[in-house]
Amino acid sequence: MGDVVIKVEELSKVYRLGTIGSGSLRQDVARWWSTSVLKKDDPFYYPQLSENQEPKDKSQKAFWALQDLSFEIKQGEVWGIIGNNGAGKSTLLKIISRIVKPTKGVVRGKGKISSLLEVGTGFNQELTGRENIFMSGYILGMTKQEITAKFDEIVDFSGIEKFLDTPVKRYSSGMYVRLAFAVAAHLEPDILILDEVLSVGDAEFQKKCLGKVKDVSRSEGRTILFVSHSMQAVSNLCNHALWLQKGRLMEAGRATTVINNYIKGVKKSQLHRTWDNLVEAPGNDFVRFKSLRLTPQFSDPDAPLDIRTPLTVEFEFWNLVEDQDLSIGLHLFSYGGECIFDVPSPSFHCKKGLVEGECTIPGNFLNDGSYYISLIVVKNTSIDLFYYEECLSFEIEDYRGDIKWFGKWMGAVRPSFPFRLEQKELELV
Amino acid sequence: MLKSKEVTTDWDWEINGRTRYWGLNLQELWHYRHLSMSLVRRDFLLNYQQTVLGPFWLLIQPILTLGTYVLVFNKLIGVSTGSLPPVLFYLSGIVLWNFFNDTFMGTSFIFRENAQLFSKVYFPRLIIPISQMGTQIFRFGIQFAMLLAMLAFYVLFKDYALPTGFLAITTPLIIMLVGLTGLSLGLIFSVVTAKYRDIINLVTFGVRLLMFLTPVLYPVNYVPENVRWIVQFNPLTSYFELFRRALLGQGVVSPESLGYSLAFTFLLLFISIGIFNKQGDKLIDVV
Repeated sequence: MGDVVIKVEELSKVYRLGTIGSGSLRQDVARWWSTSVLKKDDPFYYPQLSENQEPKDKSQKAFWALQDLSFEIKQGEVWGIIGNNGAGKSTLLKIISRIVKPTKGVVRGKGKISSLLEVGTGFNQELTGRENIFMSGYILGMTKQEITAKFDEIVDFSGIEKFLDTPVKRYSSGMYVRLAFAVAAHLEPDILILDEVLSVGDAEFQKKCLGKVKDVSRSEGRTILFVSHSMQAVSNLCNHALWLQKGRLMEAGRATTVINNYIKGVKKSQLHRTWDNLVEAPGNDFVRFKSLRLTPQFSDPDAPLDIRTPLTVEFEFWNLVEDQDLSIGLHLFSYGGECIFDVPSPSFHCKKGLVEGECTIPGNFLNDGSYYISLIVVKNTSIDLFYYEECLSFEIEDYRGDIKWFGKWMGAVRPSFPFRLEQKELELV
Repeated sequence: MLKSKEVTTDWDWEINGRTRYWGLNLQELWHYRHLSMSLVRRDFLLNYQQTVLGPFWLLIQPILTLGTYVLVFNKLIGVSTGSLPPVLFYLSGIVLWNFFNDTFMGTSFIFRENAQLFSKVYFPRLIIPISQMGTQIFRFGIQFAMLLAMLAFYVLFKDYALPTGFLAITTPLIIMLVGLTGLSLGLIFSVVTAKYRDIINLVTFGVRLLMFLTPVLYPVNYVPENVRWIVQFNPLTSYFELFRRALLGQGVVSPESLGYSLAFTFLLLFISIGIFNKQGDKLIDVV
């Protein structure tokens, strides 16, 4: 134990959207002709633009999926990789799994790696369960002896004995997932990489899989890298966590600490933002936001922002095009990146100039936790003009009144619906 | 699992941004041999499960083609097949050409067809073309058996005299060379078609054109002297002629043209594996 098995150094990955190849030979030849033969500037090359500037053509944007990532993983550690959507979690796993090449940096490691980025890799609908166990096993890098030795265990774990010689196309989706995971669960690599694979299947099977992963890491000293949106699963399974945000490493360390900081970091409330001039304001040639404000409607000014508090989202934007029919969509996300709701405004005929609006989220509706809001400006109720992602974020405290239970309240929302309880009959003694 | 602590600097593997032409790792390929065999088996099962005639389809296609060729080229147009019976002449050409055509076409679209798989799991990408080749060898085997059966029929019932000499033992070698040529070309085009969709049309059209420049339907010495160089420029020509010569006793092959073909095949094989290795990792970002 304690030996470093994966060492990542200054890892970066750039996706040059649209510039790797234009997709047609004619354009690539034209490009080669002008850059290599005529020595002109590359017509497909755009210099690095500063953040506020929108590139002329969106497809030419360089996208840094990962940026200067360095960390070490020791043998026997179970790492959870957390972060919002698009933080680079999957890209990182794909690089370590040797599926994509990094743009810069090195990953060095010891021991055999197996990765499970999808449930049922290599499965073929037409083949039987038995054939698929072998097929999938081989693709995941198992040898014939390994599969043969584990075959009964795999079948047992999946619980599909009766259908072993039936083509998997006739399986229910649950059976399919169970079989696929069973194969993967019996891989015996030194390092196992799992990407969000536990999010499929029914609850009972998920529990079984989590248990299996736990067993494997504890008893056999296997190193595991695990991506999940479920903080529950990460804190349950992992002793270490790695927090990525927009391709950068925010924090790596003990799972509990990192998860807490992650939740806090995302929770950092962004309640109001204003921009004084058009140039700096977020937006584009059609609309630019002037101000955004989230106002809690406290009955008592000293009260904390808790689940009972109604929230008003106020916004002002400059409409830069004469006579547009605009509507605003308010998207509310949980810190895990799950969209809780998407509320559209009615369409409004806007003249050139400043437009203001507001939307109120009622009290006693959201659960406690952290949320962020994205606003989208839509023209003619169909054309997306500007999507301002994660523009406001806030945190809602818990309030339980006289409830004496203190566990985590489940659910994305916590509405208070009318409930009726009454004594119907008294027991006759 | 690891013996001592001081080995921290000895890494088993390293991943970096460099792509190399000679990243061929035979040991790794060997580790995945079962995958290869299993893929061949899968192809076979998928093609013939739930079919009425099963693998017999493999025989029907060349037989129908043979019928057409005999009728059109031999009877209608009157292309000479030399001293050979037209049936044997055409069938040998068809069988060998099918092998080349199928290895080439089967390999040409590997990245496009397996993009989903390639983006989810790592294994040496060369496993796919190798298995593809395995499938084609298997299919060829069945067709070749039919050719041998036809040859036996002619020997037994039509008093056809088998060629003497030991040239016949070179047949497996020629088959291998034709297969490797198809594979190498396919590897190159698999990279090209992954990048440029429009090349797919060219591939299907080009391979058909190539058939007419290969002595499948005619013997080389039937081609007028002044344009014969076009046919001989095609490296497949000497293989086809040698194949007929070895099996049926008729064919024109000079050592120079054979040398040219061999050099072409091996050079192409080297280049194509290099390109495939070099581009294989990058293409995942593009496909």
